[in-house]
Amino acid sequence: MSTIARPLEMGAFRSPGEASRANNEVRLSVEQVSYAYSPNPTQAPLFTLEATSFQARAGEIVAILGPNASGKSTLLKLIAGTLEPLSGRVLLNGFVTHSLTARTRAQRIAMVQQESQLLFPARAWEFVLQGRHPHGRALRFESATDIAVARNALAQVGAAELSDRWMAELSGGEKQRVILARALAQQPLLLLLDEPTLHLDIAAQVDLLHGLRHLAVENRYTVVVVTHELNLAGEYADQVVLIQRGKCLRVGPPGVVYQRELLEQVFQTALSVELGPSGRPRVIVVADREER
Amino acid sequence: MRPLTIQRLFLQCTALAGILFVVVIIALKAGAVEVSLFALGRDLIRVIVHHGGEIKSDYGLIVMNIRLPRILLGVFVGASLAVAGTGFQALLRNPLADPYVLGVSNGAALGAILALLVSPHLSLLPAVADLLTPLGAFLGAAATIAAVYFLGRREGQIDSTTLLLGGVITGSFLAAIIMFLMTSETGSNLRGMAYWLMGNLSTSLQPSVYWILWLGFLLGAGAIYTTASDLNLLLSGEKEAMHLGVDLPRVRLVVYIAASLLTGLAVSVSGSIGYVGLLVPHVMRQIFGSDHRVLLPTAAFGGAIAVVIADTIGRTVVPPAELPVGAMTALAGAPLFIYLLRRRMA
Amino acid sequence: MPHTKRFGVVGMAGMLLPALLVVMVPAQKAPAQNFSPRSTPASIAATTQNNATTQNNATTAAQGQNGAAAQNFREVMDETGRTVRIPQPVMRIVSLAPSLTETIYALGLQDRLVGDTDYCDYPPEAQKKQKVGGAINPSLEEIAHLRPDVVLVTKHLNTLDTVHSLDALGIPSYATDPRNVDEIVASAKRLGEVLGAAEAGAALAEDLRRRLDVLRQKIGTLPPRRVLFVVWTDPLISIGKDTFIADALRRAGAVSIIDSKQDWPQVNLEEVAHLQPEVLVFAESHAESTLQHFEVLATRPAWRILNAVRERNFAVISEAVNRPAPRIVTAIEELAEKLHPEAFVEKPAADQVSGNTVADAKCLCAR
Repeated sequence: MSTIARPLEMGAFRSPGEASRANNEVRLSVEQVSYAYSPNPTQAPLFTLEATSFQARAGEIVAILGPNASGKSTLLKLIAGTLEPLSGRVLLNGFVTHSLTARTRAQRIAMVQQESQLLFPARAWEFVLQGRHPHGRALRFESATDIAVARNALAQVGAAELSDRWMAELSGGEKQRVILARALAQQPLLLLLDEPTLHLDIAAQVDLLHGLRHLAVENRYTVVVVTHELNLAGEYADQVVLIQRGKCLRVGPPGVVYQRELLEQVFQTALSVELGPSGRPRVIVVADREER
Repeated sequence: MRPLTIQRLFLQCTALAGILFVVVIIALKAGAVEVSLFALGRDLIRVIVHHGGEIKSDYGLIVMNIRLPRILLGVFVGASLAVAGTGFQALLRNPLADPYVLGVSNGAALGAILALLVSPHLSLLPAVADLLTPLGAFLGAAATIAAVYFLGRREGQIDSTTLLLGGVITGSFLAAIIMFLMTSETGSNLRGMAYWLMGNLSTSLQPSVYWILWLGFLLGAGAIYTTASDLNLLLSGEKEAMHLGVDLPRVRLVVYIAASLLTGLAVSVSGSIGYVGLLVPHVMRQIFGSDHRVLLPTAAFGGAIAVVIADTIGRTVVPPAELPVGAMTALAGAPLFIYLLRRRMA
Repeated sequence: MPHTKRFGVVGMAGMLLPALLVVMVPAQKAPAQNFSPRSTPASIAATTQNNATTQNNATTAAQGQNGAAAQNFREVMDETGRTVRIPQPVMRIVSLAPSLTETIYALGLQDRLVGDTDYCDYPPEAQKKQKVGGAINPSLEEIAHLRPDVVLVTKHLNTLDTVHSLDALGIPSYATDPRNVDEIVASAKRLGEVLGAAEAGAALAEDLRRRLDVLRQKIGTLPPRRVLFVVWTDPLISIGKDTFIADALRRAGAVSIIDSKQDWPQVNLEEVAHLQPEVLVFAESHAESTLQHFEVLATRPAWRILNAVRERNFAVISEAVNRPAPRIVTAIEELAEKLHPEAFVEKPAADQVSGNTVADAKCLCAR
């Protein structure tokens, strides 16, 4: 993924206080958030997530890691502000994310999800332009700024040539890039991704994470990625939040979190951890249990 | 990349307005009575300039008092149904949605029938008594809107699936009551009602009603239009829309009430004219795309054009009798629907 | 939405039923014989051995065990061309149409009427009879329970389904199908014959024809008045030229301005405004509500184009005009009097009282 375009301008959209801050203040602060819900009113609530905390700065990638149904997506939604935590709070540059209006939230937080079925056909550029919706008045026609931002976003994800294509005709990887471009067009502070590598092949997966790292640095995003891909997280994340069955077991850089006993307990399979050439840990599945 | 601009929107609307104008002129000319358009135009100008002077000629009276109001009613009904249909299709995220899917039209029909049954027993001023049926219909529609709203909520907010279910069930229930009432009276007592329920523009109304209709249209269509950008985002998915800043509960409520209001107004004066609310949005989407900022106004024009054409054909094809406009839209609409369906599948 | 449209179709079908009914197929297995429309009695005992095994509503107690026919039957052809076997004598009759009920009373056969529909309301005593449901959807159980010798149906109201169901139950059904006033009279007379009251039938027909003749003498030479017969106003519905109502109008010295082949055409108000009928005719049971309704119409700009509306030229006559029964002649006479009042003056013209000939609250006719 090439990053030939200029980093997106962000200054105009930040609150006055932020501009004067030093570059590496804590931007995202997750403080003891927990969540529970009752499937129906008569049952006792189930805890999907117990008290979890971590912090992240601009330019960092945080990976929320864990097996399926461990509460990772719940944590992401709490960070996004769409769920209200049972306890604790999530602060983005000092603002509690849940208490912002949907519009203000969308100006600061962008979510990249698996795309649900588009009801009616749309072109890629139309799709990306939707990311400009949180900025400006409710009923509006796109301004030159909007168009420039959208174009830039497509370029940044290397999808400039896909601009006029119909969304339905794109491949999985191409669609992923356009969805990411839409998120970039929101010019957010926080970029959230929920299992973005699920339907991608290896090359596309690497492409995506690599691109995310570039974007995080150049555009000063804070990126939070939910994944169960151990090695991708290990290679690209600056911090890893390890979750198992609603419990946060450890937070820290991959080198700290990737301990064999811990990982085996969480993922319920025999593993071994090595140091890769990049200095990052690499996890190998041990095929045959008897041999160990 | 060619995003929508106000200029382009304006051009498209003007083109459609032009077509509507031509259709209206043709409709004015068509009918049992011969009309010279030149003379008509001259008289119209005289009336406007002199603020309602008398039109003496026979044809003039007929055209001004029967034909023109009917055409205007057709414009209103067509525009309202098409806009309501567009709104419901976006709200319910369902391309098969039409304005009647949530039962509003059955509620209006029931209200009209009850008003009809009740009115001989009340002694009212004639002008007021004439308003009883449309008023009853509108009250029936309003009651249905409220009932379906409360049925369609989940955790305090409108939920698309629940709304659809609640609306369909309510509609069926009301239809059963209507059927019961209709079959329990023989003779000419309610026979005429069946014609009205098929969808009919030939009921002549008090002038005051027209003002109310147009006001209602401006309010309803205007309200939906303010959510046009939000509806575009809704098409990508409800969660995505929320993450892009759409205030989903508010948008849902506004679109639901406004679209139901438009449907209720249309049905209370013209019965259930079918296929307009379902197909006009699809046709306009094929031509102009799915952007609701364009789709809503063009659907309004398209609906008006469709209904006026259908009504004109209906009233000129078997003189002295006429075919109800609802029958014409069904005759044209069903094949068109099949055609559109196959195109999508191809 | 499907259910709405389905309902609309049902409504339309319910109303186009008269036009949709086709000739009913013969249901009995009686040997084909050429019967003229005037029936000839035939004893069927020998030929009905195989028919007697069908479920039979015989009322005599002397019915044999294996269905050896212990009573007489008579084969007649009804007005739709079906051959019907009716037990003799006819003691128990069920009527499935208000017009047929009225005719039975007019024939003096009301004691033999054991059941009628919910809508049979004339004469008032008819309301006390056992009810079997509606005309379109009568309860077959109720009918069977009454063990009728014959069930009377009429083509313009009852359905083919009902007739088939009655056939399946082995209950004879006799169908009338009068299309104009003459046929209504003939149908009543024939009904009298079929039901064993031939004299009453002949007398009734004689009386009706006499009255119609008197009417013709009075107004036959006068130019007919152009009228619009209003069935419904929103939308405007009138009657077709081939209906018996149109014929009734003609007998009353009127002509319907609507020339349509449909039975209940929805009429364009423009057309009516163009034709400018002299009088609007309503058939209502309650003159008061029609008066109110007319006043309402008079406030609408579109309706005010009609001279008849502005000048209050309308007539309200009995609902009997809607039923193909003997009482229609009364309605015709009523209408004739309102439309041609001068033909009904008893005294010579010299003694005419000022404008008081037909001072009738219902009619505000003016010449």
